[in-house]
Amino acid sequence: MPTPDDLFAEADRQLNICNSCRYCEGYCAVFPALERRTVLETGDITQLASLCHDCRACFQACMYAPPHEFAVDLPAILTAVRQASYRRYLPSPGWLRPAWLRPVWRDGRGARATAAIGVGAALLALVAVTEGIGALLRHRGPYQVIPYPALLVTVVLPTAWSAAVMLRAVTGYWHDTHGPLRDLANWRALATALRRAARLEYLRGGGAECPYPGDDPSPARRRLHGAVAWGFATCFAATLAAAFLQDVLGIGPPYPLLSAPVILGTAGGISMLAGCAGLMMLKRRGDPPPSVGDYGLIIGLGLLALTGMLTLVFRDTPAYGLILIAHLATIVICFAIAPYTRMVHAVYRFLAIVADVIEQA
Amino acid sequence: MIGGGNAGLAAALTAARLTGRVLVLDRGQAAMRGGNTRHTRNLRCVHGQADRYSPGTYPFEELWRDLCGVGTGPGNEKLAELTVRESETLPQWMTEHGVRWQPPLTGTLHLGRTNRFFLGGGKALINTYHRTAARLGIAVRYGTTVGDLVMDGDLCTAVVTGDGTLRARAVVCASGGFEANIAWLRRYWGDAADNYLIRGSRDNDGLVLAALYAHGAARAGEERGFHSVAIDARSPRFDGGIATRLDSIPFGIVLNSRGSRFYDEGEDLWPKRYAIWGRNIAGQPGQIAYSIWDAKVRRLFLPPMYRPAEAGSVGDLAVALGLDSGAVTSTVREFNAAIRPGGTFDPGGLDDCATEGIRPAKSHWAQPLDTPPYYGVAMRPGITFTYLGVAVSEQARVLRTDGTPMRNVFAAGEIMSGNILSTGYLAGFGLTIGHVWGRIAGAEAARHAHA
Repeated sequence: MPTPDDLFAEADRQLNICNSCRYCEGYCAVFPALERRTVLETGDITQLASLCHDCRACFQACMYAPPHEFAVDLPAILTAVRQASYRRYLPSPGWLRPAWLRPVWRDGRGARATAAIGVGAALLALVAVTEGIGALLRHRGPYQVIPYPALLVTVVLPTAWSAAVMLRAVTGYWHDTHGPLRDLANWRALATALRRAARLEYLRGGGAECPYPGDDPSPARRRLHGAVAWGFATCFAATLAAAFLQDVLGIGPPYPLLSAPVILGTAGGISMLAGCAGLMMLKRRGDPPPSVGDYGLIIGLGLLALTGMLTLVFRDTPAYGLILIAHLATIVICFAIAPYTRMVHAVYRFLAIVADVIEQA
Repeated sequence: MIGGGNAGLAAALTAARLTGRVLVLDRGQAAMRGGNTRHTRNLRCVHGQADRYSPGTYPFEELWRDLCGVGTGPGNEKLAELTVRESETLPQWMTEHGVRWQPPLTGTLHLGRTNRFFLGGGKALINTYHRTAARLGIAVRYGTTVGDLVMDGDLCTAVVTGDGTLRARAVVCASGGFEANIAWLRRYWGDAADNYLIRGSRDNDGLVLAALYAHGAARAGEERGFHSVAIDARSPRFDGGIATRLDSIPFGIVLNSRGSRFYDEGEDLWPKRYAIWGRNIAGQPGQIAYSIWDAKVRRLFLPPMYRPAEAGSVGDLAVALGLDSGAVTSTVREFNAAIRPGGTFDPGGLDDCATEGIRPAKSHWAQPLDTPPYYGVAMRPGITFTYLGVAVSEQARVLRTDGTPMRNVFAAGEIMSGNILSTGYLAGFGLTIGHVWGRIAGAEAARHAHA
């Protein structure tokens, strides 16, 4: 397995060839950012790696790609650097990174599924102790299954913990790739970056679109990714809407079909499911075939959307209680392990775009 | 279509709209398809209106003047004029065939007005044409070498490939020059050819060109004509492309293997001079020369792909480059002493920093080499392409030495560029020739096949 130094050295070698060629300048922000630098430190290479959206237009256009002896494959080496950087900026073992949870964030699907079942069992025990196990069947809304305070703690705890881990990681990352934290208080740059991130500006191959997973460029991957990201945001908005109805207007669940939480949640869930299914199909066609771990994020998000949708579909049936428990267990695990998964690409890529916008100014 | 570069594909795309069956033979494997077009990035064309991709206009008269101003002017004025005239229609044709554009690349501002850059460079262009070709039902065979044509009088009946003979109603030869054929280069350059590096495809060995000559085709272009630039001596023998060229020359001095300067490094703006340095180096002992510069200027030009040698003193740099340190030190001392005082250094224009009293002079950008660290790179001539080709008619028909045409054999691209270019070169004009003559050859070939 290559060490981080090997990865940086190889990225440096390839980027040096790119900087002497520059044919790909029109594809994305990576090449102009490269040309602004005369010496590449590891922070620079990390920044370029996060800026790369892996659209692979440059690889397809590269006359130095293998079998040429220069063996340039920028998307591959930048992906390797990027994934190594996801690990590098995590906090060192300690209370933010407890050793006993190591298998969950480290070992992938088996450990995560086990953890989710564990969390589900704990929630069932909670139900049994508080409302009695019969509450699973004779419910009228979620709080008859799990009392509101318990539900709140169940969801907020892993989320807050993940947020703390990410905050630590992001501070170190920004320091290495850009510099002072106060630069992040640049609203104009944040707004521009948000627009570019939301439009997946750098997955467009400069207008030529993304040839992944084959040779024919198409907007499919960008649109599917957009479906997942926008679906996720819409589901989040559904949660906010529900919170507003409950805590401000005092209207508790369940909400009617034609209410903001249900409409937003349904639209977001369908969008996420469609996006995840499509991305999974693209990945299956990918060459070389992706490793099992590559599917992790898609599966996780897909399960979130699926269990969420099922709670809606079956909310008037006796199955609702168990489905709700499953959904909650999925939420707990997904949110708790988020910093250790490729979910963090969203955070790092966004920061890379912010840094790039600031640099261009 | 013999050849899958821009000329062959332009011919195929044009022919496929007029006739049913078009076959492209590419010498390279699929991953390396497209010949020298892989290494291109722009084309030069007449345009009457500025747009996002070509700031400013470039009228017919100006391109014609530029073409007449290089080398000894056009080989065949009629064909050259046709090329310039047709160039105006290329951007739209290319866009219609799927090509996307990008604003002029940084570091190439001097080409921004006259040349259009396609997004991603030549390999992206080739990929685009192949996608369009697949939609039009054009067949492609990779790894196919054409060694000969089967001629029946003035008619070609088949082409002989490495794996069998293919019958054809019409043939377009778009197989490039012979720059990768070192034995052929040795005929004109002797042992020096062994020290030339070839910037493009190793497949451009001129097999088809030689076959056409054997069947009586007339020559066009200078047999010793080639385009060459200074490239890093560590570059691969073939296919190093754009990344290995060096732009450091005007910012320092250039020495030969004896440690002496031999040509004015600041004669004119670099875009007007880069293409003479291949020949300059080819004329030196061992076909090698050394570009050296100091820390003052190191950020003023594109960084070399291979790291330069670096040393704290001129003498140590000479040793690192394998040169005689005494000779290099005294050349640098003499050069530094000859710089006229009071000049204002301006890398963006023809400044007044020049030497006095040494030969050769350095006419511009002459600054003393006095700021360590010092940097240096060994350079070889890098041959881009050759000019010697076959004579053609206005219909791109290959002409024989007796002036009569081969009725169904056409030529396009590098293999006939000698009709248009004599000795000099205009950046981006090779692509223009390939496209213009590819389209003419493709249309005429289809017409002949149908007649």
